[in-house]
Amino acid sequence: MNPLVLARGVSKCFAARTALAGVDLEVPRGELLGLIGPNGAGKSTFLRALVGLVRRDHGELRVHGLDPATDPVLVRQRTSYLPGETSVYQQMTGRAWLDFALGFYARRDDELLARMQQGFALPLDKRVRTYSAGMKQKLAVMAALGPDVDLYLLDEPDRALDAQMRYLLRELLRAKKRAGKTIVLSSHHLSEAEALADRLQFVVAGRMVPPAVLEAARARLARRLRLRLAPGTVLPADAELLQHEADGTVLVHSRIPPLSLLQALPPDAVSAAEVGVLRLDELYQELLHATTAGSAS
Amino acid sequence: MKTWREVRVMALVYLVILVLMMVPAVLVWPSLHADLQRPSAMLQAFGRMGEFLGRAVDAMRNPDEDIAYLSYMALQLFFKGANVAGIAAAVLLGTGLFAREREAMTFEFLLSRPVSRGSLLWQKVWPCALVVVLPIFVTSLVAVPMSAAIGFGLPLGPLLWCSLHNSLFVLVVLQLTVLASLQSRVQAHAAFAIGGFVIVNLALYFIPTVRVVSLFRLSDFDWYGPIMAGNRGAAELFDPLRHAGLSTWLVLALGLLYAYTHRRLTRLEL
Repeated sequence: MNPLVLARGVSKCFAARTALAGVDLEVPRGELLGLIGPNGAGKSTFLRALVGLVRRDHGELRVHGLDPATDPVLVRQRTSYLPGETSVYQQMTGRAWLDFALGFYARRDDELLARMQQGFALPLDKRVRTYSAGMKQKLAVMAALGPDVDLYLLDEPDRALDAQMRYLLRELLRAKKRAGKTIVLSSHHLSEAEALADRLQFVVAGRMVPPAVLEAARARLARRLRLRLAPGTVLPADAELLQHEADGTVLVHSRIPPLSLLQALPPDAVSAAEVGVLRLDELYQELLHATTAGSAS
Repeated sequence: MKTWREVRVMALVYLVILVLMMVPAVLVWPSLHADLQRPSAMLQAFGRMGEFLGRAVDAMRNPDEDIAYLSYMALQLFFKGANVAGIAAAVLLGTGLFAREREAMTFEFLLSRPVSRGSLLWQKVWPCALVVVLPIFVTSLVAVPMSAAIGFGLPLGPLLWCSLHNSLFVLVVLQLTVLASLQSRVQAHAAFAIGGFVIVNLALYFIPTVRVVSLFRLSDFDWYGPIMAGNRGAAELFDPLRHAGLSTWLVLALGLLYAYTHRRLTRLEL
């Protein structure tokens, strides 16, 4: 079966900035794909290209078998897109805005809409200008998940939502997936995307990170330790000091399994230790290094 | 319909302003006409406003009261009323059409809906066009029975031709404003650009030696007065081969501006 989304060598430059640098991606029908990457990695540009808001410079792009650059309206009729930085019309009531937003589509998912209305508990008869940022985001999510279409493109749908609402959003997305819908969502929350998505795709510097590169980066980071050491402690020969952190800890790369390294240190030398992927930005740095080194070679 | 909901109050206000500007003009006519026979204070005041108003006042001082009154109404209805209020309405309505979407961060949402950009442009422009055009005709039609009530019969045919030409003029300004709105990130920038453009043209209009390059020259008393007085056929406005054909040029300008705006919107990337 043809993938619902197909990208081959898609690139896009804005003046001197390269937003997409040869993106390859396939999203089969019914998959929930999580796009993870730092700010400016190209996630939003890629999602915009999928609905024809941005025209690619090179490469091939197909959504529902159509080219979004030449058939944007046909693509959008079967796709619901939630922009990353969006707002809603302040002068309208929540209900009027929702009717306006859903009125563009042929079919509505009434069951899910009722569930969202109950779960989000929005005062839909009040004007949007009285809403908080989180309430506006809930309304935008309702407008994005409300249409009954085949593909949902969600750019950071959990923005400004609290933990309880993010949990509800996960349940809503799972319900969509159970109904056979295809979802591509971008997120900054690795753990939440990991818990929800069938597959995670890291995006760094406008490129999709190949699975092998990701695994290699994770394996390298699994040998990384952040240690709080007693003064005067000498590191074993198998440990490479990477840097001194501002909080007094040291970042160390271990050439042997981390547990063995900890055992090799004198008793009482370590007062605190963290092992593995400590921060998402460290993983991004590692991936950026691996991806740019790979493309250069 | 969303655009119509946003502009309907302004439409009503604009209509009321136009009618309010016209009603006193009609009601004070007999005394104003008597004042105009005395070349003292009134003429000096008008004289300072330049050659254009001088010609208009000359026409209003015509011994044939029908001609004088028609000239007076041409000035009131078209130059003072519709041009000034119409341009103000066009600027207020048009500058927000796209720039306000950007400011409110709703532009991406709007562009990502399953409608073509052409449809989007049309849905935004037509309510505003209706708002600036309809009151011109309504005001003109209101003037006919009011004028009859004080013993002057306004000629309906020339009045409607003048209204049509004036509508085209205001629509060109509206379309220019929509283009400025599309090019601007903030509504105030579009308003300043168009407001500045209008003020410069108004200033040019009041300098006799450079008046010919002013936008307002396209829709002034020199065109409406003779048509209303029956000294010039309205068809001249639509005949660019044997006459100036200003209306035809305005239609052409309007079409080109709309097509260019459509092209810019279609090619717009976020």
